[in-house]
Amino acid sequence: MTLAPAERPALAEGGAPRPRRRIPTTAALATALLLVVVLAAIHLTQGTSGLGASDLLRLVTERDQHTWNVLLGSRIPRLVAALVVGSALGASGAALQSVARNHLASPELLGVSAGAYLAVTVVAVTGVAVPIWLTGSAAFAGGLLAAALVMAISAGGAAGPTRLVLAGSAASMALGSLTTLLLLLFQEETRGLFAWGSGSLLAVNTDASRQMAPVLVLGIVGLVWLATRLDILALGDDAATALGVGVRSTRVLATVFAVLLAAAAVTVAGPIGFVGLSAPVITRLVGARSPNLLKHRVLVPLSALVGVIVVVGSDVALRAVFGAARGVEVPTGVVTTLWGSLLLVALARAHRDSGPVRDAPTAHGTSVRSRRRVVVVVVAAGAAVVTAAVVGLLVGDRFLLLGDVAAWIQDEASRRVTFRLDERLPRVGGALLAGAALALAGTSVQAVSRNPLAEPGILGITAGAGLGAVVVATSTPSAGVWALSGAATIGAALTFVVVYGLAWRGGLSADRLVLVGIGVAAAVGAVTVMLLVLTDPWNTPKALTWLSGSTYGRRLPHLVPLVLTLLVVTPGLLAAHRSLDLLAIDEDVPRVLGVRLERVRWAVLAGAVALTASTVTAVGVVGFVGLVAPHAARALVGGAHRRVLVVAPLLGAVLLSSADTIGRSVIAPSQIPAGLITALVGTPYFVWLLYRSRPT
Amino acid sequence: MRRSPRLLLALAALSALLLGACGTSDDGDTAGGGGGDTPGDESSVEPITLTDARGVEVVLEDGPATTVVALEWMQAEVLVTLGVMPVGVADPEGYSIWAGTSAPLDDSVADLGTRGEPSFGAIGDLEPDLIVMDAGATDDVVAQLEGYAPVLVVQGSDASDNLAHMRANVELIAQAVGAEDRAAEVLADLDAAIEEGRQALADAGLAGDGWAMADGWMDGSTVSIRMFGEGSLMSDLAEALGLENQWTGDVDDTWGLGVTDVEGLSSLGELHFFYSAAEDDVFADGLVGNPIWDALPFVANGDVHKLDAGTWTFGGPAAAQFFVEQVVAALAG
Repeated sequence: MTLAPAERPALAEGGAPRPRRRIPTTAALATALLLVVVLAAIHLTQGTSGLGASDLLRLVTERDQHTWNVLLGSRIPRLVAALVVGSALGASGAALQSVARNHLASPELLGVSAGAYLAVTVVAVTGVAVPIWLTGSAAFAGGLLAAALVMAISAGGAAGPTRLVLAGSAASMALGSLTTLLLLLFQEETRGLFAWGSGSLLAVNTDASRQMAPVLVLGIVGLVWLATRLDILALGDDAATALGVGVRSTRVLATVFAVLLAAAAVTVAGPIGFVGLSAPVITRLVGARSPNLLKHRVLVPLSALVGVIVVVGSDVALRAVFGAARGVEVPTGVVTTLWGSLLLVALARAHRDSGPVRDAPTAHGTSVRSRRRVVVVVVAAGAAVVTAAVVGLLVGDRFLLLGDVAAWIQDEASRRVTFRLDERLPRVGGALLAGAALALAGTSVQAVSRNPLAEPGILGITAGAGLGAVVVATSTPSAGVWALSGAATIGAALTFVVVYGLAWRGGLSADRLVLVGIGVAAAVGAVTVMLLVLTDPWNTPKALTWLSGSTYGRRLPHLVPLVLTLLVVTPGLLAAHRSLDLLAIDEDVPRVLGVRLERVRWAVLAGAVALTASTVTAVGVVGFVGLVAPHAARALVGGAHRRVLVVAPLLGAVLLSSADTIGRSVIAPSQIPAGLITALVGTPYFVWLLYRSRPT
Repeated sequence: MRRSPRLLLALAALSALLLGACGTSDDGDTAGGGGGDTPGDESSVEPITLTDARGVEVVLEDGPATTVVALEWMQAEVLVTLGVMPVGVADPEGYSIWAGTSAPLDDSVADLGTRGEPSFGAIGDLEPDLIVMDAGATDDVVAQLEGYAPVLVVQGSDASDNLAHMRANVELIAQAVGAEDRAAEVLADLDAAIEEGRQALADAGLAGDGWAMADGWMDGSTVSIRMFGEGSLMSDLAEALGLENQWTGDVDDTWGLGVTDVEGLSSLGELHFFYSAAEDDVFADGLVGNPIWDALPFVANGDVHKLDAGTWTFGGPAAAQFFVEQVVAALAG
């Protein structure tokens, strides 16, 4: 029925069966509650005013007004926010995991938080102070839409964790791109939202928490009310139906409650990352030894408590590490994301390979195409590249004509034309080359991971390259092309080695590789945000532009690393096309046929790393091209890598170049980074792709 | 083959489009690069050589620049104040909302796009003879713009001595546009305003009083407060007025700004509190009602002052003078 069925097997299967020692329900709840109380007490003693435990304790005997004010005006609102956010996300995650029957379902990975955050940003951009309930409703609507979309295209999570997470992370990426676009275009109105976008608990009053409290109660009570039905649902759809439980209605109701909870959390503190993932997972890990804790009547409230422990614990750790003053600068969500993503990695490592039942990116499903058709496609794609190049040169903040280009080539154009073409040439060239490189990298990664939904970004390579480049760009602003390129390559390579190393457990499972990659990418992303917030807190537009993939200000020398990498890697990949075909089938066929699996896999992935890293200096961090282009190529010419490796880069070049041209022209003289456009264009395609290939 | 007809159709459409794109868009424009745009001044002009924030020698062959674009708001404000209306500014709409009350732009000023990524084409179209920009841009952007016109890179802020730094910036830009006299006047006016203000504050018995300033933002119930610490331009001005900045938290080296939360304010005692906010007023809407804020001495005394809209707290002499006048009016008016 499912690849990663009910909660228990997925988590318990890692170790040898242990003797079951029941943890009494009350003991579990009491322990969690005690931990909450202890952490909350520590939390209350931390803060920028320097008032510590002894000052607070003195309140018992004498009422010092100042201490009292600090407690009421800062410590308690902050703690209440943490309580609301933690419990809401914990319960929400627990419900979503049960609905999806998948331990990776969570508000973050399902795009609920991203959808809610986008809605909140839209509200903020209007510049009008709106009541919190309105922001909350917007967040709910945004979150619900995202959840519905992701659930629909991943068959409610029944299609296995990888598919669900890929769908969710793609949806999050697209929604995040829209948010970034708004942050870039309305930078003064949204100045605080960049840090808040990672989740902040610096509440000055309990208004938001109080207004969201009824939602919190409604959500949790609603889920507890559904508890018995959710318990039965865990037995499987057929069993549940046989026992008279409305499968559909239970799913829908539970999802609505879960999204309400997640939206309440986003309204109070912004999208605090990975709490909804880690809290229920921890609960289930504990419960794996004691099934009474896995009854939803207990699971939901217990996950809520664990969620509080995660959030308050992260906030406490943040202040313990950075000190109270600097702790204000780093969003709490960065810490929860960091450690939540590490948990995701640990989970992925425990994840057992679900066998060779993969929807591999080979010719399965796509019929072998006739030779003539392939020729037509290649010629058409080639023509499209030329067209994209020419249109890219002609279109921008102002239209030019072909005669201008001719005059420019002969060095006879007017200043006006010369300026424009001198600027556009490296940008168009960079977009074309980077698009091709990303498509090649995507093709390689999809073949190796045997997953048509994988792309370089999902293996953490892009995030690593971005982090490397950001480290250099923030520490030495005058760093040249080669320093940036070198740092990006090192970052990408290190991240990749980490991902590969973590995913390796006596062999490489394609699923594990993707899940570990997503976890590491999230962790690296959190570190990048932390670095940007700490080093250059007032220059978020620059950081956003850099991270969203822009060709702005690029010159021809920036393209050199890219050209060299393409020249070296492309022939290598083409030469390995047969191995790639075999690699894409399963683990065994290549071995039987004498392909040295590990060596080829390493070489191909190393090529993908080099290609991805080299694009960072030319266009920054761009997603989706490596995902969409190879897939479109397979749809056109079939799965043989001999053909895909030719067509995919052409399509990738057209995609990124068109995105760049659109970004340069639609709101000229202002510009939209190309990476945001590719995400906006790529997402609908990706959604359609997932939807069409959904298991029925 | 199912899709081939569609492909062919698309190709045909594209080629039609390309054919339509033939010809040139030059309508009697001066051909062939530089040189031809010197004003018809017969007397030989002295080239001007300046050293900018990069330490690079910027040479203006044709003497003082007249057609100038500014890619940051402080630089735009300085130009306006010096009597040289820039021909183009990045995000002029934003400038008029956030920065331009003391030095408004003409309607004629062209929009060059966002401050982060100003449009090269729009800059080139204006055929500037000088581009003034902030040191925050990458070397590659600067290098490309140098192909269009001489580029004067100005470091917008330096927390080691911001007031002196701002004066030096004004003088540097003034040299480039041949407005040294006007610059001297402007700076003398600022000095006079400061001196007058200092006197007025002293007369009111406020010399040596505490002062603090912040801006901030609010999302839901969460509030971040950004303090203008030691070394920020606003702080330098307040100190020049004889006030003392009471905020001693960590600040960055460039702008002199630090972040805190409402609790971080609780160390502040008796002082005059100023803040800058847009319509979304964190201090009025967010903090009022918070026990820490309400108990702060300056809040209890009603000694909290909002700066007028469009007072650019990272600006040049006009913004500085505007700020000084507001402080003096608020405290000794």
